[in-house]
Amino acid sequence: MKCRRFGGKGEEDMGALSKLSQWRTLAREAAERTAILAKFLCILHVTNTYICTPTLVYGPSMLPTFNLTGDVLLVENLTVRMGKVRPGDVVLVRSPENPRKTVSKRILGMEGDRVTFMIDPKNSNRCQSVVIPKGHVWIQGDNIYASHDSRNFGPVPYGLIQGKVFFRVWPLNGFGSLRQ
Amino acid sequence: MGVSNVKQWSRIVKEALDRAFFTAKFLCLLHVSNTYLCTVALAHGPSMLPTLNLSGDLILADRLSVRFGKVGPGDIVLVRSPQNPRKIITKRVVGMGGDRVTFSVDPKDSRRCETVVVPEGHVWIAGDNIYASTDSRNFGAVPYGLLQGKVFWRIWPPQGFGLLRHVNE
Repeated sequence: MKCRRFGGKGEEDMGALSKLSQWRTLAREAAERTAILAKFLCILHVTNTYICTPTLVYGPSMLPTFNLTGDVLLVENLTVRMGKVRPGDVVLVRSPENPRKTVSKRILGMEGDRVTFMIDPKNSNRCQSVVIPKGHVWIQGDNIYASHDSRNFGPVPYGLIQGKVFFRVWPLNGFGSLRQ
Repeated sequence: MGVSNVKQWSRIVKEALDRAFFTAKFLCLLHVSNTYLCTVALAHGPSMLPTLNLSGDLILADRLSVRFGKVGPGDIVLVRSPQNPRKIITKRVVGMGGDRVTFSVDPKDSRRCETVVVPEGHVWIAGDNIYASTDSRNFGAVPYGLLQGKVFWRIWPPQGFGLLRHVNE
């Protein structure tokens, strides 16, 4: 003899159980997707930190090296972390006046160097000479007529350097590594 | 004989690779959370007495506060030294950009004070032990971009375990 329960408590149990298993499948799928996303972000972070990261720079301060409307560059920070940055390198620096802004400039002097620069090249020929203190660097844009750099805010601590630019990806007619 | 050896080897190699990948993923996750969430630091030296001990305290510093600009006067912060970029120092923030800061130039010798306005985008840091601290009184205001983290918890020594209090000016 077979007994069949239909209606009443039996079906409610089945409904609750199926909802629970649905929830569990959803939760498991969400956890899997989150894990994949976390792994992807991890790999992205490790690549950016240890290999290179792309960045977009724009503005007039590094003409003619970089274009006004925007260049996509590859930046690495192993050189910075090993302390092997040299005068003549183009670097990304966190601005000492606005910590949310990152600027690209060229290093003209390291600590201990004496730097001579024109204070206001548009108006006068007057020069000034400065010795760079310990732990600081002197950064200057290639376009001295339209650049806000160490001539305005002084030498910047080495710890503000975020990376060294070594390759240009866009525009395509400038594709290639950057010459000194 | 040879075939079973190869099978055993391939199984061992596969297991070794699995373990290696798992370890790599775990280290990756640890590194990312160290960079973006929270980091452990060992602070030693006399410049933050009596808050931090001379011989070394293990402290936790969170990185999100600095990233979102939630650092203010009274907070203990980790800063990359402007004099030696390889060194990270622990000091307390005394003033933010735009604040006026008064400090005694050489507390051991005289009571002469100086007042300085902190430039925009910079912070003024000072050790709690003003008699034995090299800080903004020596190297001036430091750019905000040099801040590495805000210290909020001490985990060693055990009798100091707990929240590090924010000091109101």
